[in-house]
Amino acid sequence: MVASIDKIGRREFLRAGLVFGAGAAGLAAGYAAVPDVFARAIYAAKQEKIVNEKVLVMIQLAGGNDGLQTVMPLADQAYRDLRPQLSKSVDEALPISKEFGLNKNLSGTKKLWDDGKVAIVQGVGYPKPSFSHFDSIRVWETADPDRRQQDGWLGKTIADNYDSAGHPLVGCACGTTGIPGALRDLQATLTVVNSQQSFKFNGGDEMEKAMGALYTSTPGIYGALFDTAVTTARDTVAQLKSSAASYTPKALYSDNPKLVYSSKNQLAAALQLAAQLIVTGTGVKILHVTLGGFDTHFTQQQRHDDLMGYFDQAVSAFYTDLAGHGMSDRVLIATWSEFGRRPKENASAGTDHGTSAPVFLMGDAVKGGLYGAAPSLTKLDTGGNLAWNVDFRSVYQEILEGHLGVDAKEVFSQSFDKLAILRA
Amino acid sequence: MDEMKATQTPPPAAQKKPTVTRRTVLAAAAAAGAGVAASRLLALANQPTFERVPITGTQGNKTGLDWVTPLGNEAARVSHLLRRFTFGASAEELDKAQTDGYARTVDRFLETKIAEPPPLAGADDASQDNPINTGTLQQWWVDWMTASPTPFGERMTLFWHGHFTSDYRKVGTQYPFLYWQNLTWRKNALADLKTMLYQVTIDPAMLRYLDLGNSTAQSPNENYSRELMELFTMGPQAFTEDDVRAGAKALSGWREPRTQAMIDADLKRQQMRTGQPPKIVPKADTVKTGIFDPQRGYKGAAFMYLGESKVWSTDAVLDRILQQDATAPFITRKLLTAFVTPTPSDAYVARLSAAYRKSRYDTKALMRDILTSPEFTAADTYRGLIKSPTELMIHTAKALGDKTLAKLVAGQGQGMGQTLFDPPSVGGWPENESWVSSNTMLARANFVTSAVQAVKKLPPFANAHNTQIDGVMSAQTLKLLNEAADDKRRWSILLASPEFQLK
Repeated sequence: MVASIDKIGRREFLRAGLVFGAGAAGLAAGYAAVPDVFARAIYAAKQEKIVNEKVLVMIQLAGGNDGLQTVMPLADQAYRDLRPQLSKSVDEALPISKEFGLNKNLSGTKKLWDDGKVAIVQGVGYPKPSFSHFDSIRVWETADPDRRQQDGWLGKTIADNYDSAGHPLVGCACGTTGIPGALRDLQATLTVVNSQQSFKFNGGDEMEKAMGALYTSTPGIYGALFDTAVTTARDTVAQLKSSAASYTPKALYSDNPKLVYSSKNQLAAALQLAAQLIVTGTGVKILHVTLGGFDTHFTQQQRHDDLMGYFDQAVSAFYTDLAGHGMSDRVLIATWSEFGRRPKENASAGTDHGTSAPVFLMGDAVKGGLYGAAPSLTKLDTGGNLAWNVDFRSVYQEILEGHLGVDAKEVFSQSFDKLAILRA
Repeated sequence: MDEMKATQTPPPAAQKKPTVTRRTVLAAAAAAGAGVAASRLLALANQPTFERVPITGTQGNKTGLDWVTPLGNEAARVSHLLRRFTFGASAEELDKAQTDGYARTVDRFLETKIAEPPPLAGADDASQDNPINTGTLQQWWVDWMTASPTPFGERMTLFWHGHFTSDYRKVGTQYPFLYWQNLTWRKNALADLKTMLYQVTIDPAMLRYLDLGNSTAQSPNENYSRELMELFTMGPQAFTEDDVRAGAKALSGWREPRTQAMIDADLKRQQMRTGQPPKIVPKADTVKTGIFDPQRGYKGAAFMYLGESKVWSTDAVLDRILQQDATAPFITRKLLTAFVTPTPSDAYVARLSAAYRKSRYDTKALMRDILTSPEFTAADTYRGLIKSPTELMIHTAKALGDKTLAKLVAGQGQGMGQTLFDPPSVGGWPENESWVSSNTMLARANFVTSAVQAVKKLPPFANAHNTQIDGVMSAQTLKLLNEAADDKRRWSILLASPEFQLK
């Protein structure tokens, strides 16, 4: 039963013309939705395979995070030679081993590291890397370096493994207005909440009902997309209302007024909303949040240090909040970024697009420590870039299997080298 | 034409019920060229005076239903043109275009010089002491989108703003740069592509946004070189990493201009820091573009770029890009996707891009080709695109005939996914279905609620369903309009409807 409906699902919807523009340039990463009524029928027919309470929070560091200024080589002369300007800050790094130290602004992360709650996988990348933001983002979002997949790896995970009927928050993006590519999937009902305060119908009950009535069996190629989004919005409003009432933060998610790059720490706001959704039992399972600004071609030092500070402050508060609610054992935090940066700094005291970089996994579930291996700074490729040692899909696989209990092979159609980062 | 005018007669003031009568619907149907559909008009049981052009389609497959296209008719084609290219229309704009007809309206769009907005007070003298307020800048543009006598020019400027993007976060507001960029994009909105690309390359905000202003031959910054090819002209996969590096070298040497206000603010700071009057007082630049400094630029032997070896200049780089086969189709496809259809056929792109290249990249000629192409008014083009938040909001302000709504518009784009001067990335705004999520649909509904509340004097609804959405409605929209108790509710339903989100 389950299998046959799955099979109908995707193909029949495609054939019915409900997927539009899938082949067109510019819409390659396009999002389409199934009509809510069909989606619900499918999900209702599915057995809920995943019954655990595990939650995954993916943090996107958008723009290409500089791995070498995040996990800094403490005593590598090659690093100082390649980066006469940027390497100056290595003296303030927070050592985590003989060889490596965290960026000076990652003090909260360092504390979690000392408690064994941070795993850092070094040298994460993929074959034939793209230096284009959009191309490489798509590779990481779809878990497909061949760029043939349309669906996001998290969206596919939800569609294949979770029952989202009546639970629009199973897959949720916080602090943004659009659906991130990693969550996109034809068969996943997803919600997006930019801010808790504004997520309600200002026109009250009457407008909400009118919207529900207006967006029913809407004609045209966008009909199903519209109807699903409005139904999801209404479900989400209801969920958030009860969630907000029962949430008291147990950490301070505040802004540091000294930080100059952005006027406020949007990641902190997004993670606070994520914490609220998690601790109030909304059924949220997979969350996606983004911190932007990592494309540091120019005067990188200050900008990147600030971004590290935002990240650190937000994640520390998030962890503390979850721990205060007794839920830090359920939640895994993981970072991703489309690429690292070129080891050699440029004349603008910045860095250009590069290849591999470290990935962070954080939470009670991880076995803290360094994994993978940092690529050599003396054996760069012909473009002056770092080699990679760990395929990013090995990390995804560990997240799916070790934390969510999902069959990763079903999601990726292949297996990757096993990493043993998570506690059994 | 005559029928269309007939449907615009305002109803008697005392009339409370919805004002659509059999006569107006028949007129609208005839205007829509839907003669067959008109013969199948439905009369709803409780509201015999309110009728509609029914939706056709396979009854067994509800979701396969499509909108009935009225584009066989001139009046509907004119409305379609205004929705796609001018953020919809005010009553006066609609009247004028309907009187002129499609062909003359296209001529007017293309041949009228784009009107300049009134200067933004203080923007030219922006400095660390007097930065531009982002809200004021957004408001200034939105005001002009609403009020400009040449809204086609504003729509084109918005297109280029999404294509040649820059954002205030990185560019900063303590310079006039972003304000200048908006003026430059408008001035060159229909210029030939070479002129436009040159202006883009040396635009001060762009020099800062994509770091070309800090790139030197000795250590070139690759940011602009890459995006110039990948996002602005050729698309990914049309060049190599070596081309990125070579382009960066070839384009190096530009710096940002300095205004007197910027220099004064700098000097004031220096003096406060050192307690001394500054020894060197830099001279203000008189131009509003980047300045080429040969000391910083590349000097030396020929090298390879895009398959050719020579001594390169900025000019030569742009010429080389225009010689690439990928360039004309890339720009053409982007325009067609924004204005005509989410899925332009390869043949359509090939036809228009061949003419574009042959015209030496005359963008005005390309726009004429687009506006007059049969594909633009083909049946499947009707409601084939989703309005961007800005289009939705400006169209609402125009439909409600209240220019003061621009205040509301400038502040409400964010929740719907579009903040002017702040695109999400260097790729601009992802269009069309990317505008739709639970959050954005909620924000659209909330915008409508605020707009209908904020409007000073709500115009009578009358036959707005004909003027705004061609009288082509879903059964649900029709039913809700019928059940609405007053014009305020009728406007809310119309503006929040799926029909109005589409263009």
